[in-house]
Amino acid sequence: MKTLSGLAEAGVLLGAFILLWFASDFVDDYGLQIAFRVLIYLTLAESWNLLAGSVGLVSLGTSCFVGLGAYVAFGLLNNIDAPLPLVLLGCALAGGALAALVSPALFRLRGLYFTVGTLALAELLRLTMVNVSAFGGAMGIFMQKDPPPLPELYHYALGVALIASLAITACARTRVSVILRAVRDDEDAAAQMGVRPYRVKLGAFVVASALVAIAGGVQATKLGAIEPYGMFGLQWSIDVLSMVIIGGVGLRLGPLVGALFVVALGEALADYPEAHVAIAGLILIVLIRFAPGGVVGFAETLSSPTRKRATA
Amino acid sequence: MSDVGTVLSTIISGMLLGGMLALTALGLSIVLGVMRLVNLAHGDFLVVGAYAGLFFLKFTGIDPLLGLPVIALLVAALAVPLYGLLLAPLGERGAEAQMMTMFAVSIILENVFVLAFSADTRSIERDYATLPLTLGSVTVPLIYVIGFAIAVSLILAVHWLISKTRFGRDLRASAADAQAAETLGVDVKRVQMATFALGAACAGVGGTLIGAAFQFGPSSGAAYLLNSLAIVVLGGLGNVLGTLVGGLMLGFLQSLGGLTLGDGYRDLVGMALFLLVLAFRPDGFLARRRS
Repeated sequence: MKTLSGLAEAGVLLGAFILLWFASDFVDDYGLQIAFRVLIYLTLAESWNLLAGSVGLVSLGTSCFVGLGAYVAFGLLNNIDAPLPLVLLGCALAGGALAALVSPALFRLRGLYFTVGTLALAELLRLTMVNVSAFGGAMGIFMQKDPPPLPELYHYALGVALIASLAITACARTRVSVILRAVRDDEDAAAQMGVRPYRVKLGAFVVASALVAIAGGVQATKLGAIEPYGMFGLQWSIDVLSMVIIGGVGLRLGPLVGALFVVALGEALADYPEAHVAIAGLILIVLIRFAPGGVVGFAETLSSPTRKRATA
Repeated sequence: MSDVGTVLSTIISGMLLGGMLALTALGLSIVLGVMRLVNLAHGDFLVVGAYAGLFFLKFTGIDPLLGLPVIALLVAALAVPLYGLLLAPLGERGAEAQMMTMFAVSIILENVFVLAFSADTRSIERDYATLPLTLGSVTVPLIYVIGFAIAVSLILAVHWLISKTRFGRDLRASAADAQAAETLGVDVKRVQMATFALGAACAGVGGTLIGAAFQFGPSSGAAYLLNSLAIVVLGGLGNVLGTLVGGLMLGFLQSLGGLTLGDGYRDLVGMALFLLVLAFRPDGFLARRRS
């Protein structure tokens, strides 16, 4: 992938998208379920990478924007019966708006508090949903319409994953990447060169949050019922962190490899939820310590030992 | 609806609890100051302390408040290998790798608690825990007052340790500029290890105090972590006595939120405060506004 230009990479993505679009005709229900989960996870992991890989902001707030997307989607579906594309646009706007609203707090002290601030934000939203009866309280909300059929949901998930992947391509293969990396590596130097670090970080945060909120909206539409503990649950953030670290932080193929791995692990350990989380934790510790480039980074060093690692 | 006595009692109870939690927050604050690390497992260290108090009482029959030194040592002893094996090797890679590692430690600890002690909520049962202390129209649980007194004494002890001792001087030097401290002969890694252990001990002791006053469970850590952080930013990072003031403020505002909006809003007030203070007074409420 390293040698591909931005345009070629976008072409590969579009090609894969078209192939996968028609795959729904040939796959059974179980396969579609799994594919749906992989695509949602892929979107979440790509968005996380957009933040951490390009501007160095480590988020634990995936659950916050998944949950926000879910509640906005149900609000629009139940109250004004909006068509799904419009609903998802609403999710994106809400996600971006919330990110912009909280950024003055979260970007303080050079992002020292960003990680834990996103955690606090998720908790704040969850407690709001639990306490305010208009949002369904602890019981949550049901969708009044029937959920769309699975193949349709799969196509939505595929579309969202494509947008997220294209966003990463745009950030990594165009001139934007230079600005992003400048901010990540040395904020002061970037500012000296006329880049405005705050705006760059804000842009990345808004885009990533909008994408996560759309994914949350699609996920909620599939579930048909949402409640605050699940939608704002820490599990989302744990899974995303597992994916990007297993795949390799900031690496192009990292999210895909990570998403496949985490979904497979989840299927294999579906009967042992506690062990599942603990094993995810152990994998994280070992990988952070010994293979900071994750599986993809490890494969890259194996295939070309002389090349400098991308995460260095 | 409720008379003045009840309102005052609620607010004072909240402030006593905030003061108790300030000890845990102090542990978080010194680790953040010296290592630039938000220890995401800090809340779980608190839960370790609570379970330690529970089992200390069960097996020795001695009051866990008398066993606090043992519990502090135990939690510190748990923290030292965590630092040596997991955090120290990541020193050069920046705080993100360390933070994610502590996040992983946190989720592992939570599941270990569930496996070892079940998901039940528990509390450290003492006869005096339910005794009320009445002063005029104000009634607060005796255990709150005891816990508060212990927490404040320990915060003052840590303050003395940091401002008056040799270790404290090294700690302050490492927090201000680790590289410069290293050049001047401070063993920064050692200071970091000691700080991490001290921070964990603060959380553990705070956990025993809170476990004696409240119910706790395997996943109680997250809420205490976030509330402790709210205290740290309220009091101002690196300000030991500010942490105590931050704890009292958080307790006051949480009780006020609980009284006016309903009990479910107590924790919500903590989170909202954290974000609001970061947005508008990032150096804490005590700091003078920078020009």
